[in-house]
Amino acid sequence: MGGEYLRDITLYIAEGVGVTLKIFCVTLLFAVPLGVVCALGKLSRLKPLHFVLGIYTWVFRGTPLLLQLVFTYYGLPYLTNQAVSFSPLMAAYVTFIINYGAYLTEIFRGGIQTIGRGQYEAAKALGMSQRLTMRRIVLPQAVKAILPPMGNEAVTLVKDTALASAITVNETLKLANRVMSRDFNVGALVIAACIYLLLTLIVIQLFRLLEKRFAYYSVK
Amino acid sequence: MEIVQAKGLHKFFGKLHVLKGVDLSVNAGQIVSVIGPSGSGKSTLLRLLNHLETADKGSISIDGEYICQENEWGQSVYRPGKEVLRICSRLGMVFQNFNLFPHRSVLENLCEAPVHVKGVDAKEAEAHGLELLEKVGLSEKRDAYPGQLSGGQQQRVAIARALAMDPEIMLFDEPTSALDPELIGEVLSVIKNLAAENTTMIIVTHEMNFAREISDRVIFMDDGQILADDDPERIFVSPDHPRILAFLDKIIRKS
Repeated sequence: MGGEYLRDITLYIAEGVGVTLKIFCVTLLFAVPLGVVCALGKLSRLKPLHFVLGIYTWVFRGTPLLLQLVFTYYGLPYLTNQAVSFSPLMAAYVTFIINYGAYLTEIFRGGIQTIGRGQYEAAKALGMSQRLTMRRIVLPQAVKAILPPMGNEAVTLVKDTALASAITVNETLKLANRVMSRDFNVGALVIAACIYLLLTLIVIQLFRLLEKRFAYYSVK
Repeated sequence: MEIVQAKGLHKFFGKLHVLKGVDLSVNAGQIVSVIGPSGSGKSTLLRLLNHLETADKGSISIDGEYICQENEWGQSVYRPGKEVLRICSRLGMVFQNFNLFPHRSVLENLCEAPVHVKGVDAKEAEAHGLELLEKVGLSEKRDAYPGQLSGGQQQRVAIARALAMDPEIMLFDEPTSALDPELIGEVLSVIKNLAAENTTMIIVTHEMNFAREISDRVIFMDDGQILADDDPERIFVSPDHPRILAFLDKIIRKS
């Protein structure tokens, strides 16, 4: 196994990193707002909405992500007579966004609930509307509580993107697998592992920085 | 001129009847202290006035504008939320636990509502905020965060924050009850300074000497009702109700 061979397969596998990153970024970009909206919904006074959102988070946190991916890509076209059918990458986007939205909903709800009643009362006594109170007082403080669990989710997401290989998306693990079965060589897997380690390291550091930025105040 | 007027207030928390028909009227410039045993409904009364709780029966009006009125069955019916919020923003509130915004600096705490509720220009709000900080003796803490301040300092900031909205009436809900004994004095002296400026105030407090010294009127509450509403000397020197005597006796013996 020469250096040239290693370089060639590394470059080949690295092509999948772009796809991995795409799934990662698109998921976060859409799942975060989805989570915020659903968390606010869960905290609202609309009882029917609680029920619907409860079903949503239960189903998507209660079934395997792999199953959801397969369902979206193979199941939906079959059930709808091809009326709903996605490209592999699109199916991955949709499933990841909805799945991670469910997890983030619960994380955001928990974070918002750490803000005590006194903050709402102080804001109201100053004449602030509920919307203004959320935007200026509650959500900025909730971010501090949300960042640590959200960092965990982001790390998990980096690794979960590999599940997209099951619906033929050519991401990092898929390409490594391909090399492995072609050459009967586990070197490709080691390279893929190193890539994931590097990506998760970056994510961890990024969240550490963010947490530091929110350490400027303490809650006594 | 009556600036606060409440009539026949009833409040239930579940089955608990916390206020049992309370009437209160306060004139502009008056300083009214509300005393009484814990659980007597003092705080609830205060919180009804600025809509932190809603009344079940009775009416409340602030400066001639009602926030809730009785319907034909005596139940309280509130104005639309936005109007209530607008009317109640004439009342400044100081809480037992300060409730400062921990993620904003002291000066930002003072500017938050004037800028985002009233639409005051940021520079103007800042200048006004600095004036108020000077008044409560905390100019040098303008850039500190609440978590870096002592309880007494936090409460003084909270008073300044309420004043920043130029309220017509200040409500104090046991402003010194969460403070260490050595920090109580600094907060009381800030309130005394406000009193000297003829600010209308309703103060729920357990500081009897302070209440006696500062108030135009003292209200004694027990079990959801007002038992006495009189000038401080009458209440503290020659109360004509055995419950008041027993209460004051307990407090004085404790201290």
